[in-house]
Amino acid sequence: MKLYSIMIFFKKLKKNIFLNFFNTILSLVILLTTLLVCLNTFRWFIFNADWRVVTSNLSLYAFGSFPSDEQWRPAIWITSLLLLSIITLCGPCWKWIQQNLLLAWMSTIPLGLYLLYGGFGLSPIMSRHLGGLTLTILLTVCSSLLSLPFGIVLALGRQSSLPLIQKLSSIYIDVMRAIPLIAVLFFGQLLIPLFLPVGIEIDRVWRAIFAFTLFVSAYIAEDIRGGLQSIPNTQIEAAHSLGLNQYQIMQLIIIPQALRIALPALTNQAIGLFQNTSLMAILGLVELLGIGRSILANPEFIGQYIEVYVWLACVYWLVCTIMAILARHLEQTMTINQTNF
Amino acid sequence: MRRLFSGIVSLTMLLSGCASPSLENTSRLDLIKKRGELICGVSGKIPGFSFLESDGSYQGLDVDICKAFAAAIIGDSERIQYRPLTAAERFTAIKTGEIDLLSRNTTFTLSRDSVGGNGLTFAPVVFHDGQGLMVKKESGVNSLEDLANKSICVGSGTTTEQNINDAFESASLPYTPIKYQDLNQVVAGYLQGRCSAMTSDRSQLAAARSGFKNPTEHIILDAVLSKEPLAPASDGQDQKLADAMRWVVYALISAEEQGITKSNIDEKVQLAKNNPQLKPLRRFLGIDGGLGEKLGLSNDFVVQIISTTGNYGEIYEKHLGKNSQVPIPRGLNELYTKGGVYVSPPFN
Repeated sequence: MKLYSIMIFFKKLKKNIFLNFFNTILSLVILLTTLLVCLNTFRWFIFNADWRVVTSNLSLYAFGSFPSDEQWRPAIWITSLLLLSIITLCGPCWKWIQQNLLLAWMSTIPLGLYLLYGGFGLSPIMSRHLGGLTLTILLTVCSSLLSLPFGIVLALGRQSSLPLIQKLSSIYIDVMRAIPLIAVLFFGQLLIPLFLPVGIEIDRVWRAIFAFTLFVSAYIAEDIRGGLQSIPNTQIEAAHSLGLNQYQIMQLIIIPQALRIALPALTNQAIGLFQNTSLMAILGLVELLGIGRSILANPEFIGQYIEVYVWLACVYWLVCTIMAILARHLEQTMTINQTNF
Repeated sequence: MRRLFSGIVSLTMLLSGCASPSLENTSRLDLIKKRGELICGVSGKIPGFSFLESDGSYQGLDVDICKAFAAAIIGDSERIQYRPLTAAERFTAIKTGEIDLLSRNTTFTLSRDSVGGNGLTFAPVVFHDGQGLMVKKESGVNSLEDLANKSICVGSGTTTEQNINDAFESASLPYTPIKYQDLNQVVAGYLQGRCSAMTSDRSQLAAARSGFKNPTEHIILDAVLSKEPLAPASDGQDQKLADAMRWVVYALISAEEQGITKSNIDEKVQLAKNNPQLKPLRRFLGIDGGLGEKLGLSNDFVVQIISTTGNYGEIYEKHLGKNSQVPIPRGLNELYTKGGVYVSPPFN
């Protein structure tokens, strides 16, 4: 039995990659190149790379210059996010867990803000101390949370029968999509403080969050419009004949379905937003990429660009993968719920 | 419609009312003292000048200048907020009052200093940077003339490229420029041996060199091709703060002139207290004369500064000196008595 399966394997091998002379040559060349690249990369990883630049700065990458005796606060936040992801993905299907999951996810945001900024018993921390992965996650979470309702409002506005609202929404969406993100961020960081009267100052982190929100909500609005348009008119007519009013139709019938349809696109936006936060590195916030660049300026670690960027790529990859898996899980549970109807 | 219009008008008036509070009379200096904390704009990404240490603290020459200001104004060099700023943000941050002062490798130029330009005020220069050349020690090149007919690696489309061209043309020396897009490529080209020398700002050359495998095999020539005087800056409207900044920097320089260091400051204070005839020293250390009060600082501000950061020479040696990780020859950054340009006006 075993021998037979090995024979089949070799037959397939011959049929697929060693069919004739030309194919054999091509396969060998590709195999050899791949081997060589892998070997060299492996050798660099083990022997040439000096990973001290990563290992001795781990707390900087994670928390930035957060005061060292308070670092348990962002640590708790990030750990709770991780734990919640694990519970969501592979936790037991007990009913009370499933019912409270959404609540738990929603509560991570006030919890995070409380832990990071302090107050009510914790010593207050200025946002200039925020940095590293903590700041990157804070930027992503807050901007996506703010831009989702704004995006829904814009999408509904664009579908509205009132001409003023309809025009304003479409102008906003079209203008925002015609401006590059970096321009919006520059506007937020450089021009907003000039417009504000002397003495009134919006924190730099929040300026960034607002700029991201303004930009992303235009894209989210278009994603949700796709969902809205895919809902057949007959459903609305049916809802009307059941005696539901306009508000109820929106809340109970249209928005839930539209959001489910738009979910893959929304995931895309969330992951894109997470990666776009790295643009803030050139605008003076020390988020994950910014902290990497600051560490590279330390004379002790000068010139170790490759190690730092490989490490940062791994961190970005890890977080994006977790986000993608969570979103896929959410999609699956939503489809199951739908088939129950 | 009329209601909307009057609403807009009143809103505008409200906003403009907020925009012009009478801040002219209160100096930023008093604000810093009241706040008990100095907000200092730094780069955070320049080796030797300001960078992040593994424990999350900022270090470097620019950072030590911030510490000197904090020691003089507040009396505590730890009470500083550092704001990492990009080149584009830095002047906006001063204008909007987001930072008190800027200590971020900023070149002192006319258009930045003038009211018609950026409207800043600069403290005395704390580092004279300039374009330099780096060569391999074994090549035996010691001056610009030795580089005649050789090739030089340079970043293209920058003032660097223009400056090297001007320097060689005015000396009527022929040379071959090899142009690269950015500094990392210039360094790579130089290390691969494609050119006999590479050119950039001297501080950047020194930083690049400290990343080489054998930094001691490369030397930076004494020839300086351009002037880049880097100085701390503050808002031009605020003379009180600008004066305080100016004399803090002069105190650092004057202390080096008089040989007052971090380790002997206590002895010098005792010496001045016991010997009433040492008038200039007593004035400098704030025992007589009340000079500090005239600036709005405490009278012993010089003692505060020197006991935290040391004099200018000590700061330089610590971050850019021979035994530091980013060694840059002092050159122009030496006292006037030793061939540099640093001289302090008298503390009278």
